Amino acid sequence: MLKKVGAVAAFAALASVLVATTAWGSAKAPARASAAAAKTIKCGKTVTIGIAYPATGPAASLGAPQFDWASYAKKRWNKSHKLKIKLVVGDTKLGDSPGLAVPVAHSFGSNGKMLAVVGPAGSQEVQDSIGIYKKAGLVAVSGSATRIFLTRAKTGNPRETPKGYFFRTVPNDGQQGDAVASWIHNKLKFKHVYIIDDEEAYSQGLANQVAADLAKFGVTAGRNHISQQQQDFSSVVTAIPANTQLVYIPWQLPGQAQTFYNQLHAAGRHAKIMGSDGTDAPGTFQPNGNGYVSGFPVDFTSSVLKSFMKAHNHQPETFGIPSYTATLVAATAISKACKAGHGKTTRAAVRKRVPKVKLSAKAGLLGFGIQFLNKNKATYQGPGDMGGTANFAIYQITSGGSYKRVG
Amino acid sequence: MHLLLFNIIDQIRSLGWGGAFELLRNGIVLGSLYSLIALGYTMIYGILKLLNFAHGDVYMVGAFLGFGVLTAFGGALNPGIGLVPLIIIMFAVAMLGSGVLGVGIERFAYRPLRNAPRIAPLIAALGVSFFLENSAQLMTNGFQYNYDAFQLGGKNGNFGPLFDPVFTVAGNPVTVVQVLVVGSAVTLMAALIFLVSRTRLGKAMRATAFDQEAASMMGIDTDRVISSTFFIASVLAGAAGVMYGLYIGTTFYFMGFLAGLKAFTAAVVGGIGSIVGAMVAGVLVGLIESYAIGYVGGQWSDIVVFGILILFMIVRPTGLFGAQAIQKV
Repeated sequence: MLKKVGAVAAFAALASVLVATTAWGSAKAPARASAAAAKTIKCGKTVTIGIAYPATGPAASLGAPQFDWASYAKKRWNKSHKLKIKLVVGDTKLGDSPGLAVPVAHSFGSNGKMLAVVGPAGSQEVQDSIGIYKKAGLVAVSGSATRIFLTRAKTGNPRETPKGYFFRTVPNDGQQGDAVASWIHNKLKFKHVYIIDDEEAYSQGLANQVAADLAKFGVTAGRNHISQQQQDFSSVVTAIPANTQLVYIPWQLPGQAQTFYNQLHAAGRHAKIMGSDGTDAPGTFQPNGNGYVSGFPVDFTSSVLKSFMKAHNHQPETFGIPSYTATLVAATAISKACKAGHGKTTRAAVRKRVPKVKLSAKAGLLGFGIQFLNKNKATYQGPGDMGGTANFAIYQITSGGSYKRVG
Repeated sequence: MHLLLFNIIDQIRSLGWGGAFELLRNGIVLGSLYSLIALGYTMIYGILKLLNFAHGDVYMVGAFLGFGVLTAFGGALNPGIGLVPLIIIMFAVAMLGSGVLGVGIERFAYRPLRNAPRIAPLIAALGVSFFLENSAQLMTNGFQYNYDAFQLGGKNGNFGPLFDPVFTVAGNPVTVVQVLVVGSAVTLMAALIFLVSRTRLGKAMRATAFDQEAASMMGIDTDRVISSTFFIASVLAGAAGVMYGLYIGTTFYFMGFLAGLKAFTAAVVGGIGSIVGAMVAGVLVGLIESYAIGYVGGQWSDIVVFGILILFMIVRPTGLFGAQAIQKV
């Protein structure tokens, strides 16, 4: 009995210490974040980059390749550079309610060694946390937040992120939506399309963009919605009109897209299917002979891609590649800032270096060179977006299951 | 609102009788799975007055065990044994494995809390649920695993016999796998009713559910009865997991969450503690979901299903088949 009481008392004491420490930590966090923003940081041998991604929760399957690719960038960088990088992980639990993007931002902001952040993964997470990153003076480079208005003002509203604090190594929804709708109308010449989003911000934004573009072209586009937890699509398939020529599914989970295709096919429907970069996963999404995806113009024969696949025993998915590129962007900016500061730097100096980073198509792995815009371009792009030829390609999925670039 | 109603009427018209039947078929198949899971919630609640939130995750583990067997025998595209023995082994391993897991959960997470305040086992149930989900996520890297059930037993990547039509109604096929799911679910439910109403174990389960202390004083080993209840409930969830894999074609670590929530809804709507109620309400939830997706739109299906839960709680707090509890004051 005494032993039991002792154990309970010890546990209670430990819990009180933990609670007190946490409470102290949260009360001091904003002050420490502001202090860290102005602090001069010694670069030393290793510099710290945060990575904010969904390590657990419903979207963990999206976070896993992002983390793997970012870790791979770290490994390759550290092999070839004197100044090493270290990744500090922040699990944002994207898709869970409540998500943790804000606490992660506070924690990164308070970390006196942190110089830049890769992520956050979701556009909603960027909206929620960018103010905290700004206060902490940290720059965020996301490999998957594609909402247009993060970088470009909507009529009557300011842009959703402060200029100079948010960058992305992925073309935005406007660019992808245009590429997809043009392909459907100009090349496939389809007149009846059915769009199904997965109710996440990424999917809805893209679906809305494609629907608006198709409407301009005079293409009829029906609409339905599913959730990311849903796997039985039999009734969704029933609701698709019989004359539908193409079902567009801008989803984030390639396995779910494949399940949908199987059920569509099993129901005797012969409509083609088209996915987005979220489903761009050869080996997982295989509507063989009946499908298309929009994705990055990645060179699948690249030795870097091959060695990544070998190391991670993965199918050649491409969703995580922009996180590899984002890590390189952050590392390059830090390295240059450290060099300019003779072994010392600040978050502000790193932030100012990011828009000047240039990576070749070969180095960035995305099929186009990385160069950030410093002013608005065309209808959708703004500072923080990539300029140059950064855009999506269209792949046809052949009857053998390989992805063949067609647009 | 008018626009929504107009859209629904338009959709009903455009889908016609053929579409209505398809939705009926889809709803019955999906509802059969919900029923099997709901039975577990209702049995465990009936005997322990515990909402076992980890039950949906036992179903997920069952689906993975079935997938493991399929993979061990070479996968759907190249199975090393015949289709029928393969499916039997998948069911056997998943049911047994889930049953053992259920017993383990009861023994190590719930039994020590048997005399604790009722909130304690509830929190433990949530903890077990998170533990199972996150363990599965770590073991599977968060990826979805494809049963490839569509190709199971098929040649050259074509659909296998599971997707052959058994009969057609108004031009709509009812496939082998759909008959298998509904048939297996009905058989298992019938077996459960027989077990509970006609066997010694069933009598002991009923006695324990009625008054655990009195049952114990009458010489019933209540711990053993409770373990058996967990075993049976988990066996049903394991079977549902394999059926899901064969019918839907996929399995992933988070699949137990929503299915568990809907099955729990069915258990409550049916009158928690009532076996017949869980069976009927499971099918009802499946049908409502199916028609909501088909006629109203996917974004409304959860609103409709969970709206019904609220409505039922207001109109009939005891559910469809639930009995009014008499409390001594």
